[in-house]
Amino acid sequence: MYSMTTQSAKRNWLSPHSYLSLQLWDAIGTGLFNLFIVGVLFVYLFPMLYMVATSVMEGPQLRDRNAPAYPSQQMRIEYEGRDYLIYNVPMDGEIRQLALVEPGRTSSQFVDPGNVEGGLISWEGNWRQLKGVYRFYMTWGNFSMLFQALPLSRMLQNTLTMTIISEIGVLLSSIVVAYGFSRFPLPGGNLLFYVLIGTILIPEKVTLIPTYFFYARVLDWEGTWLPILVPFFFGNAVFIFLLRQNFKSIPKDLDEAAMLDGAGPLRILFQVILPQSWPTVITASLLHFFYMWNETRQAALYLSIRRDLSPISFGVQNFQSLAPIQNQLQASALILMIVPVIVLLISQRYFMRDVVVTGMEK
Amino acid sequence: MLTPSKLRFRLRYDQTFGLLLISPWLVGLLLFKLLPILASLVISFTDFQLLTPEQTNFIGFANYIRLWKDDAVGYVLFETIALGISTIPLQLVASIFLAALLNNPRLKSGNIMRTLFFLPSIIPGVAIFFMWFGFADPNTGWLNKLILGPLGLTGFSNLYSDGAIALLFSISSLWSIGPGMLIMLGALQGLPPEIHEAARVDGAGPLVRFFYITLPLISPAIFFSIVINLITIFGGVILLDRGNVFSGSYSPYDGYVSYQLFSLLDLGYAASLAWFFFILVMLVVVALFSSARRWVYYPDRDV
Repeated sequence: MYSMTTQSAKRNWLSPHSYLSLQLWDAIGTGLFNLFIVGVLFVYLFPMLYMVATSVMEGPQLRDRNAPAYPSQQMRIEYEGRDYLIYNVPMDGEIRQLALVEPGRTSSQFVDPGNVEGGLISWEGNWRQLKGVYRFYMTWGNFSMLFQALPLSRMLQNTLTMTIISEIGVLLSSIVVAYGFSRFPLPGGNLLFYVLIGTILIPEKVTLIPTYFFYARVLDWEGTWLPILVPFFFGNAVFIFLLRQNFKSIPKDLDEAAMLDGAGPLRILFQVILPQSWPTVITASLLHFFYMWNETRQAALYLSIRRDLSPISFGVQNFQSLAPIQNQLQASALILMIVPVIVLLISQRYFMRDVVVTGMEK
Repeated sequence: MLTPSKLRFRLRYDQTFGLLLISPWLVGLLLFKLLPILASLVISFTDFQLLTPEQTNFIGFANYIRLWKDDAVGYVLFETIALGISTIPLQLVASIFLAALLNNPRLKSGNIMRTLFFLPSIIPGVAIFFMWFGFADPNTGWLNKLILGPLGLTGFSNLYSDGAIALLFSISSLWSIGPGMLIMLGALQGLPPEIHEAARVDGAGPLVRFFYITLPLISPAIFFSIVINLITIFGGVILLDRGNVFSGSYSPYDGYVSYQLFSLLDLGYAASLAWFFFILVMLVVVALFSSARRWVYYPDRDV
């Protein structure tokens, strides 16, 4: 048996001495952890900052090698009814900020913005070597141009309608099928499941032409949403696989208990298994949402003849390929992110642990 | 030992009801998938050219013999395997690591952080492509102005060098981590917190808990990710659709199939290339499934 004094003498100097310092250690740990995450995030998203910055830049800045990195505009003054750009001009050992009025190859005429009445100032040298004077300047022009050029609200409505319809279909069918694959003995053992994996494996582009022929010529579904939406009601092999993995990781004890209480297989699925796999169901529904949100291939095949039915991804992509101008393109990519950000933020309310019923605490 | 309740349980989980449950997928397969798949298999035995479909002949195994002798096939196959070996483990580790970090209760404003980490995965391919060429532009881009310049490094001068393209691809693959991370996050969220509590009470440290409890419990999701990543390398649009720019460049092999299909319009040969690779990857997948017995944890193994 140790006495109290020997115990405190043997204490590690790093270990907490009082309740308060324990709290302090905890706070420091939390702080460092969050700092680390923010650091990683900054590096990870750094190229995206460029995207955001270019979306509020004016066109000329993107071609100007002397322009600063931040969104800016070369300063200009009005002189005799016209706009002139201001440059840094080295003159008599100092650098003066002068507006270029008459550019010339070997000598140019400038005017002093502070003293316009002073008249033209002549400077010897090539004006193209001069660096401009810039000020911070952001424009919303790229965004407002897009809102005018594209029927964004109608395309958004199309995408949302398609997403909601197919989301219901794909979730219901994939859940039921995954339940079948994870809990029931099937003829042929694993063979049917290998067939399912095989259907994911065959690349779309090889079956593209026969599929198109079937939908467009045999079923005459071209110009409708049907070829995009209907297949989802028969399950998505990827989600079936994902959900099957999750269902298999849930112990069967609860199924058996519910079965002894007289619950049928469907009731077990919806009241015992689903509440425990809520996070994976949400994962699948989010993955489907993002898939539909970005989907352009099927739309290009079947909706090219009905532009009024086109989803937002396809509409924006058409616009992008017509006019691949850096700042407009990045603005359009950012517009496309608004809804996914809202969906991600809201979904986490249902996704993170506090709402999840684990089903184990009976 | 089969207790009476277990016996009854077995009897009620019967084949017919199982077939009924998977029937939506079976019907969908028969209605929409099977015909095009079989058609592409048949096409792989023909000299189907996209521009002259009426002159199609059945040529037996000629396409398969041709791909066996095609030097390019060996090359792209090797490159694709190298790509898979280098990217699949990296993406897997990165997505588990990131999901574990973002699942940590110490994380402040986690909802916003998780959203921000997911965000780059929804940028359309065209925008990434242009963003990169603007970002790395030798004269006006940020790479020289804000990163290499201040560090005193010689600027980046050739946008089309191998290094630059490799950097573009590594950015776009790093930025594709979102779905993988989401799947891992979902798996972590599904774990009952009591298990961790019990281990903590027993004195297991955070690393021990992570490697001996968390990882085995999410091994079904890890297995899923490996299979899906493997299939993505093969060239399907599976979890992430970024539009048309990157299509045909998921892997060198996929690029070669696209080249035969969309540039040379040789559908017959493209189909045989795809089917050849399908058999290879399917063998790997079946091997993975049989290895799963050893390392994927399912609480009940009798089904």
